[in-house]
Amino acid sequence: MTIWVLYDIVNDKARSKAAKRCQQAGLYRVQFSCFLGTLTQNQKDTLQLQLEELINEETDKVYIFPMSRSELQQTVLLGQAFDRKLVTDEIRALFF
Amino acid sequence: MQLHITTYGTYLHVKDSMFDVRRKGDDGRVLSATYSAEKVTHILLATGTSLSTDAVKLAMRHNVDIVFLERDGDPMGRVWHAKLGSTTKIRKRQLEVSLGAEGLRWVRTWLLAKLDNQAGFIRSLKKHRLQHSAYLDDKLARLDALSVSISTLDGARVADVADTLRGLEGTAGRLYFETLSYVLPADYQFNGRSSRPAHDAFNAFLNYAYGMLYGKVEKTLMLAGLDPYVGFLHRDDYNQLSMVYDFIEPYRGWADEVVFRLFSAKKVNKSHVDAVSGGRNGGAKAGESTPGESTPGVSLNAEGKPLLVNAFNEFMDNDPIRYRGRNLVRSHCIQLDAHQFANELIGKTGGMPELTML
Repeated sequence: MTIWVLYDIVNDKARSKAAKRCQQAGLYRVQFSCFLGTLTQNQKDTLQLQLEELINEETDKVYIFPMSRSELQQTVLLGQAFDRKLVTDEIRALFF
Repeated sequence: MQLHITTYGTYLHVKDSMFDVRRKGDDGRVLSATYSAEKVTHILLATGTSLSTDAVKLAMRHNVDIVFLERDGDPMGRVWHAKLGSTTKIRKRQLEVSLGAEGLRWVRTWLLAKLDNQAGFIRSLKKHRLQHSAYLDDKLARLDALSVSISTLDGARVADVADTLRGLEGTAGRLYFETLSYVLPADYQFNGRSSRPAHDAFNAFLNYAYGMLYGKVEKTLMLAGLDPYVGFLHRDDYNQLSMVYDFIEPYRGWADEVVFRLFSAKKVNKSHVDAVSGGRNGGAKAGESTPGESTPGVSLNAEGKPLLVNAFNEFMDNDPIRYRGRNLVRSHCIQLDAHQFANELIGKTGGMPELTML
């Protein structure tokens, strides 16, 4: 499923760790504190546990939103937006 | 997602437990891109690139397949963890079956499926090429006759009839490729199969597509617990992936179709291939061209590879077909067949499988 992760984390160290956890899980960074990608239910649960450990519940906030494929198709993208095919895993091969 | 590392000097290493690809851009600046190990399924490396041991370890932990490719797309080696995909019983049975009549039955099944698929593809060509229907019908009749010959061959072991089988298969292949060439636009027509080097763009594309298919089938067999080196029909030579060459037969048609579609849609042009001289075997294989003829070779270049690879992946992984009552992408069909073959070897299911039809 398509997953959005958005956060506000006060502590610098915890914030950069959170960014890394999101990328390691297979999400793409679409804005500074906003990640998007396709995860399995297991991967999503793992990420949720990892983020829970990082944050300070008194000050920080993290949102993990699932989105359906059809909803993503209706998304409006303007300007320097992310690659819709990349975040839905439709790109099967990359060349370097 | 597959990472194809083909540019000279590109370096693959690990950063923050993710794969990081580093290379120098045209302006001399270092470009780097990071990909999660959860998302990467294959890493394909051409010559002139480098790889760190940590990247190998990360790949093995996440079941990522690292494949080293020849210039023509042939996989010459792979890094895979040293565990068997399944029980050793399957491998023992595979050895036993390779020596008896049961092995011959399997070989016949695969070859017949291949011929069936070839005939099926020619029939599908007929739909939009009414002007060629007489020619195509003639070829279909001759392919049918060859199918009958193969299905009636009997022997105690594969080795007894191996030469006859190879002959029939070869004749079918010649008829089939003659037909493909005949219906292509005049600029693209080719004169039979050629490899190492390919003599024309069509063969260069086809060789590369088969190379990708070899890699896929080899991994499929390993996952099913089969030994890629124990073949039924193909030679037990040193380092010959005999079982891969046996098992691949029904699926070659898919590679043919991908390549044929690119050519018949005129998507291929001169900028996709480079001329090369000579080959590792000093030119054409015996019997594939007239002796003494020295044709310059053709190979896919950095623009041709993405064209083919993307079309191939799209066809294999994004385009489901109806298969044994389910909608499956073609890669899964191959895996399913491999598991079924392994299960039949150890007597878990009954009867011969229906192999893929195009």
